[in-house]
Amino acid sequence: MTNVQMLNCKIKGIKKFEIALGPFPRAFQIRGGEMKSQKLLSEAAPLVKKSEPETRKKFLKNLFYKEYTWAIVLLLPNLIGFLLFTLWPVLASFLLSFTEWDLLQPMKFVGIQNYINLFQDEIFIKVFGNTLYFTIVSVPIGIVISLLLAVALNQGLRGIKFYRAAYFLPVISSMVAVAVIWQWIYNPEYGVLNYFLSVFGIEGPSWLTSTKWAMPAVIVTSIWKNVGFNMLIFLAGLQAIPESYYEAADIDGATWLKKFRHITIPLLSPTTFFVSVMSVIGSFQVFDSVFLMTQGGPARSTSVMVHYIYENAFQFFKMGYASAMSYVLFFIIAIITLIQFWRQKKSQIY
Amino acid sequence: MGGHSLKKLNIILALLLIFTVFLSACNAGNQTTGETDDSNIVTLKFMGWEASPLETKAVKVGLEKFMKENPDIKVEYTPVPQTQYSSKLLTMLAGDAAPDVFFLGAEDYRTFQKKNVLLDLTAYFENEYSIDDFIPSSANIMQIDGKIFGVSSCTVSPVLFYNKDLFDKAGVPYPPSNPEKAWTWEQFVEAAKQLTKKDGDKVTQYGVFGLENNYMTTAEYFSNGGSPYNNDFTKSTFNTPEVKEVLQAVLDLRVKEGVAPEASVLEKIGMRPTQMLQTGKVAMLVDGSWALQELASMNFPVGAAPLPKFKESVTHGQAHVHAASAKTKHPEEAWKLISFLSSEEYQTQLVKEGLWMPNRQSLYTDEGIKKWYNEDVHPEGFKEMATFFRDAKPNPNAFLSNNKVSSIITEELDKFYYDGVSIDRVAERIDKRSNVELQNQRD
Repeated sequence: MTNVQMLNCKIKGIKKFEIALGPFPRAFQIRGGEMKSQKLLSEAAPLVKKSEPETRKKFLKNLFYKEYTWAIVLLLPNLIGFLLFTLWPVLASFLLSFTEWDLLQPMKFVGIQNYINLFQDEIFIKVFGNTLYFTIVSVPIGIVISLLLAVALNQGLRGIKFYRAAYFLPVISSMVAVAVIWQWIYNPEYGVLNYFLSVFGIEGPSWLTSTKWAMPAVIVTSIWKNVGFNMLIFLAGLQAIPESYYEAADIDGATWLKKFRHITIPLLSPTTFFVSVMSVIGSFQVFDSVFLMTQGGPARSTSVMVHYIYENAFQFFKMGYASAMSYVLFFIIAIITLIQFWRQKKSQIY
Repeated sequence: MGGHSLKKLNIILALLLIFTVFLSACNAGNQTTGETDDSNIVTLKFMGWEASPLETKAVKVGLEKFMKENPDIKVEYTPVPQTQYSSKLLTMLAGDAAPDVFFLGAEDYRTFQKKNVLLDLTAYFENEYSIDDFIPSSANIMQIDGKIFGVSSCTVSPVLFYNKDLFDKAGVPYPPSNPEKAWTWEQFVEAAKQLTKKDGDKVTQYGVFGLENNYMTTAEYFSNGGSPYNNDFTKSTFNTPEVKEVLQAVLDLRVKEGVAPEASVLEKIGMRPTQMLQTGKVAMLVDGSWALQELASMNFPVGAAPLPKFKESVTHGQAHVHAASAKTKHPEEAWKLISFLSSEEYQTQLVKEGLWMPNRQSLYTDEGIKKWYNEDVHPEGFKEMATFFRDAKPNPNAFLSNNKVSSIITEELDKFYYDGVSIDRVAERIDKRSNVELQNQRD
């Protein structure tokens, strides 16, 4: 073959390559190997003539095929929604927290007075305590239960799909329906729970009207409702652990407990980290279970932060104060999450 | 090339879909106040709450009548659940999407008026009505500094309902209907004890239910010569012997005498207080007089009597007002609707059903009573009880423009009723916390 022929084959080859793969290679070429493609294109330049009016058209056409163009266009609906309905209200709320506003009269700028009042408000301190109580009890217990459930379901028993669905059913059930049913269960005279306890000779208290027992009762309902979700995540994490580790441990004669402690838990640590961060965030923001079951409970014993924010905004018409409170909640959750991230980094298993 | 045009088609379809989503979001906007269309019919938006399906039916019947008499006005009525009513109204007012005419609870009346969202009806009102014709409790609530921003719809008060069958079975005489002969508290407790039946260890029938509720006990504070607030509503006075005595007596009904069930026990299984009276779970029920509408339709012999008195037989009265939005585009028509809703004919229709009690002096004369007395609904002796409503004191909560106070009272009283905290401590805390809020409300 002559040089020219070889050159022609090369050029044809490139062209064929480009046509076969469609427009995308151009995008890749922009990132890397640009010089190479430019060189080849310039060699092939006599075959393609560029004229002025066509440059713009070609630019748009090029843009049409760029990856990032499509990324932006397809993200645009979601992005606009996010900007308008999430980001803007979050920023506006921050500005609102420095005002006093009741939705109907003009805003009054009060600086950090809302924040100062917040820390002296005994109701705020009480609901913060309730929220902490809720988190500290429901998160660890929830994680342990869902982990054990996931391990149990991972054994490959028959009917695993049924159990998975059954445990996940409470998660997708409406909180209103769940609240009504659990109110029946907790009823001191006609409820199933106290009947069950009476079989053992224990006289159950009036769960939802006792300031001591209302919060534990709501916590139990909340754990019951959410355990399926974490269980599914743990299941996914468990299935990512290679069987070979367990087989190696079997060969070394490890008991189930040893396998669990030394293989399962360490290798699950990214999953556990994710589940615990999400659970903490979720439980600080709990509202529906409390609101629907006890409406803040006897003497505010089950009133949580989000409930108090709601009350301040929509029942006492104190928008600025409620916004300040929601920002304090945001900072608390952010700090706790950062602590969790920092701890995770420190104790990296691998 | 085939590949390109197909791709272009897909892209165009995708963009079309995205735009339709935007368009559908834009079109969902609410209309604000009523519009006037070509045929000059004014549409008014009217919002109220539904305390019971019977109430909504009654309102709708009344509105049909109004629209017949005013063919150029169309009224669209939207009932809203009562628990979220104020928040919904507030957000509608803030979003400029408020109804033209709406119910406004007495406890919210002054709060909303302070925010300048109510239409000043004084001129309209003085043209057609006289404030002296209204019973004192209604007149006091309606007037804010001599002006009228809403017209009182009726009046309701807490009363004592009872199941006649259970009284007959236990051989207990009915409580008197005449307020001057009303039971004393001791007589009431005695009757409740006789009406509490046990089956072994479990109580099958309680004597009374409904008093563990600040709305009901407020009437008893007045009966005992006390008041939860001072005269100009700037200080909370729960920590006074009169109020504390009442609350302790109410708690003792359950804790000492065992004649009252715990509030939540029966409610949480979905039984409404009226159903408790009907099914014989309780023999007496303290509830608002509005419950008569439902009780009368429940096919059991129900009786009504004034509340047992401590010193004086008195109760409190209040009712929602009908108000108009300050930004309504049709103030004249809105007033016409409010005027109709305040008319004797509309009111007597709902009084006949047992839901309301009249708020006009003229309807409490012998002649007036005949206009609304309904044998099928009002129990025997109800005519004698009429003065109990007429002479009621205005409900103090109507004069606070701060909703946080009721939340404080509920929280602290919960501790008293359910947690065994002493009444002295609870009353002290109520006063301390309420006074802080009442101070703020004057700013």
